[in-house]
Parts: sequence; C-alpha cells; structure tokens
Amino acid sequence: MTDVAAANDMFTARKRKSLPAEMNAFLGLVVLILIFEALGWSLMGQSFLFNKLRLSIMITQVAVVGILAVGVTQVIISGGIDLSGGSIIGATSMIAMSFAQSSVFPRAIYIEQGWVDLPIVIPIAIGLGVALICGIINGVLVAYVKLPSFIATLGMMVTARGVALWYTEGKPISFPTDGFKAIGEGLMPVWIFITVAVLFWLILRYTLYGKHTYAIGSNEAAARMSGINVERHLFLVYVIAALLAGLAALVLTARSQTAQAMFGTTNELDAIAMAVIGGVSLAGGRGSILGTAIGMLIFGVIFSGFIFLSVDAYYQNMVKGAIIVGAVALDQWRQKRQAMEI
Amino acid sequence: MKKLVIGALAAMLMTGTAHAEKIGVSIALLEHNFLAVMAKGMTDYAAKTPGLELQLEDAQNDVAKQLDQVNNFIASGVDAIIVNAVDTSATQAMTDAAAKAGVPLVYVNRQPINVDTLPDGQAFVASNEVDSGTLETKEICRLLKEKGKGSGANIVVMVGELSNQAAVQRTQDVHDVIATPDCSFMKIVEEQTANWNRAQGQDLMTNWIAKGVKFDAVVANNDEMAIGAIQALKAAGVARDSYVIGGVDATQDALIAMQAGDLDVTIFQDAHGQGAGSIDTALKIKKGEKVEKKVYIPFQLVTPANIGDFLNKN
Repeated sequence: MTDVAAANDMFTARKRKSLPAEMNAFLGLVVLILIFEALGWSLMGQSFLFNKLRLSIMITQVAVVGILAVGVTQVIISGGIDLSGGSIIGATSMIAMSFAQSSVFPRAIYIEQGWVDLPIVIPIAIGLGVALICGIINGVLVAYVKLPSFIATLGMMVTARGVALWYTEGKPISFPTDGFKAIGEGLMPVWIFITVAVLFWLILRYTLYGKHTYAIGSNEAAARMSGINVERHLFLVYVIAALLAGLAALVLTARSQTAQAMFGTTNELDAIAMAVIGGVSLAGGRGSILGTAIGMLIFGVIFSGFIFLSVDAYYQNMVKGAIIVGAVALDQWRQKRQAMEI
Repeated sequence: MKKLVIGALAAMLMTGTAHAEKIGVSIALLEHNFLAVMAKGMTDYAAKTPGLELQLEDAQNDVAKQLDQVNNFIASGVDAIIVNAVDTSATQAMTDAAAKAGVPLVYVNRQPINVDTLPDGQAFVASNEVDSGTLETKEICRLLKEKGKGSGANIVVMVGELSNQAAVQRTQDVHDVIATPDCSFMKIVEEQTANWNRAQGQDLMTNWIAKGVKFDAVVANNDEMAIGAIQALKAAGVARDSYVIGGVDATQDALIAMQAGDLDVTIFQDAHGQGAGSIDTALKIKKGEKVEKKVYIPFQLVTPANIGDFLNKN
C-alpha cells in the first residue's frame, strides 16, 4: 500500500509540473482567437468570437472528434497509442444505423424483418456492442499478447474499416427515426462531449483508475513493482477508448442522419493531434483531458476562422500541420528542460 | 457466379451457330453497385437483341485475372470484347492482345490510360465528367432567372475532396458556366471544401450563415454536401424560397430530399446507359461502322419535373 501511495505522490508531483503544458495550449488558443478577432474587425467589419451561431458551430463541428480524443488521451497517457478510433467510428456507425432506420424509408435494410422504428436503446446498445468487441480485441492484443499498441490498433484500423465497407458493400444507410436523430440535434453533441470530458477529467485526476493510468505511462516497471495489475488496467484503457469511439460514432451518425462506410477516416489522427496540441505527451504519463479539450477548441477555431476569412482549404491544412509539429516541438523542449531540472 | 458459368457454357455452345454474335465482357468488380447496374444494362441490351450472346466475367479487382479473361475471350474466338478496367494504367496489354488478334475492344466507364492512342477497332464508352457540373450549374442558372434574379445573384460553391479529379472538374465547370454571357449574372461569393461529406457540409454552411453570407444559390459538387447544407439551412431557419440548391449523383437520399422539396437539382450518371452503349459500340465496330474513339453517354439532369424516371434506377 505504501508503495502505491509513494507512486501516487510521485505522480502528483509530476502532474503539478505539467500544468504549464495546458497553459501553453490555452495561450495558443487565446492568441489564435485574438488574431481572428483583429482580422475580423479589420477585414470583415464584424466580430469573430461574439457571434452566437459561430460560437456554437465552432464547438459542435469538433465535438465528435473531441469525444474520440478523450478516449485517445487516456491511451496516450498510459504510454500507448490508438489508431483504430476512426475506423471503429465507421463500423459502429454503419451497424448501429441499420437498426435505427425509420419505416418511412421503404428500402430500409431490415424492413422485411420488421426491424424498423425500433426504440433508440437498441441501435445504441448494438453500436456500443460493436465498439466493445473492437475494444476487447485491442485490449487483449496490447495488454496480454503484448503487441505494440501501434501495431495492434493499426490492425484494428484496417479491419474495422473492412467491416464498415463489407456490411452493405459500401452503400450508405440513411433515414433514422426521430428519436435517434435527437442524439445529434442542435447542441446535443456539445453536451455529450462536455459530459464525457468532465467525467474523464475527474476520473483521471481523482480516482485510482486515473492514478494507475499515469503511473503505467510514466514507468510501467515501477507501476508493476508497486502492485498495479498492469495487464488488467491496460485492457480497460483500450476498451474504454473503443467505447468512446462508439459513442462518437452514434453522435456523428445521428447528426448526419446517415451512415457511410468511410465515416471517421483520419479522425484518429485529428484526435491524437488534439491531445498532443493540448500538451499530452506521446511519451506517456503526462497530460490531461483539459489540455485535449483546449486542443479540440484550437481545431474548431481554425476551421471556423479560415471559413470566416474565406481562406482556401489548402492553407488550412498547412497551418494545421504546422500547429501540430510546433506543439510537439514545444513538448520535446519542455521535457528536456524538465529532465535537466531533475 | 453459377449463372455466369452456365451463361458461359451456353455461349460456348452457341459459337458454332451461323448468325450468332458473341461478346466477352470483363467487369472490374461486379459487387460494386454502379458496375452491377452497368452490367445489367449490357444483359438487358443482349436480351432484346436476337442472336447476341454475352459472356460476362467478374475480374474481382484482379489485374492479372482480367488480362487472362481477355486472352481467353480471344482464344475462344469472340466477336468483340468489352472491358471495365480494374487498373486504368494497365490497359495497354489488353489493347495489344486484342489488336493483334483483330478483335474489336471497347473500354467502358473507366478511362484507359492509352485512350488517346487506341488503335482502330477500339473505343472508350463513358460519361463525360465535364457534363455533370455544367448541367448542374446551367439548371441553377435557369432556376435563378425564373425566380427573377437574372440581374444579379450570389452563389456559394461546396467543393469535394481537393485531391479528387471529379471535384476539381465540377468546380471548374461552375466557373466555366458563369463565364458564359447567359449566366454571367451569377457571382461566386464563397468557395470552400467539405470533403464530399454531409457533416462537413453542415458545418461549412453553418459557418457561412454565422458570417452573414448572403446567397441565392448553393452549388455542391455532390449530393451529400448539399444535403448537409440543407440540414444546416433548416436548423438556422433560413427561408426555403430564398435559395436554390443543387448537387450531383442522384443518390437515394438526394432523390427523397428532392421529393420532399428540399433539393432542386441533381445529376444522374447513367450506369445502365453506359452498359448498353458499350455493347452498341462494340457491335458497330464489328459491323465495320465508323465510331468515335470516345463515345459519351450523357449525364442526365434530375429535377422535380422528371424525378419519377429515376427513383428506381440507382
């Protein structure tokens, strides 16, 4: 017990040091907003930020990837990586949607079986079930078979996309029931994201689950020595990440009112980028959901800011790339400085 | 698959018959929805043409398999060959084999890399990508005039994936139509990508509305982005009669949106027509008639007026 307590103390000390990581991201966010605000007044004659609709779309458009990023963040903190999120979104979206279709559409997939107009718990349960299976496979491969997480989740990335394409041979699935649509309507994606983010912020910060995640990510051998069941814990981390990808899929599907096999493509990379920009270290053991949320907002501000200024999408990608690289460079520099202090 | 084999056997038995004509067809991947409809166009054409036998083979996305199929067609003495290429950069070998044997060869739907150097007796049948964006924009131009906006109208353009040839072409078409005197009253006020994607179409449109962009028409490179825009416009409470909106593809979702009065224009790529057209072209070459090297099956404009013709086509 004392060992665990000691490990926890050590980790708390580390966490205090990592506070500036979020500060950097937050300052970046503020600077970006100020730039767009200034350009808005000088070029467009209007405010960038103080616009209710823009403010809401800025968050709504990144909420789905944000939910995914919460799951990815805890994987990265545990010292791993998860590349499968985007594909899990694709597979979950297709399968869940086929059980969420309204009888209004005469060509609904399961209309002959009478599986239309089902209560929304059914597509939700089936969708999360699909994600759970993916998560269990990821978890077993990483925690027990000891595959590098990059390889295990790369495999899942390819496989789950295959499932998404196979399910209807690439044909989209549309026309959900009104009940299902409600999951993605208006600001609902934002509320779901906030709920998930606050929940996991608290879990990572205050529970044993969180402390073990940081401990394993900081030093797996030390965590094992201090009595943590590393295998079981890592298994859980990957299962939870997949479940959050499943939740993101449900929100995206409801919001789009359609499921397409290519849904979620490259979302896993955006999610990783959000975490990294928010100061989550790819080396593991450092970072927080708050940082990831700030990273997500930076993405949202860039999307809206570039459309606001009518800038070509080409430049948008270039800037996005530069920000990601810049954030990681900053992270490296910070780590070096910390290492020198110790 | 069994049906194909039986069809092939039946076709082989027919070879000896005097007036029968036999065409070998190799489709890249029959599971592909669009290609399946195209194959149906071929079999329908054959069914109503007495004495015409089709040997339909599925190349299952395998380049080597497709080349084998073509060589087998030649060996079994077919009168013409139709190829829907697996890999459009690997067509030269098939062209050479058919030319050497003197068998007419028609490529369908996917443009072979050697399209400009095809020898006599070979042709390419497809729809001309330039037509889709042009038809869409012209119809939107017409609708705007009809609404009395012929003296000046703002339009916003939703572009597909930037790396995609169809997106580049369709966007160019919009610019080209606007450059004509007939539609020069249209002015592009915004042009952004939404990556063919419905949710991104929603986001893009919401961002435009937030910015206060005033527009009379939305021209989207595909239906999915147009539907996303419709969802955003509805959510923001923008009056339906204040804008005209169009997409391309005539997907099921788009046709239903059109029936509901949400979408004004979409464009149908005629898979069935391309299939029938390829057989037609092959037979003409066989008979010694002169055909163009590129035979274009027109895209078709879909509007609420003729939507009934398209509901069961895709």
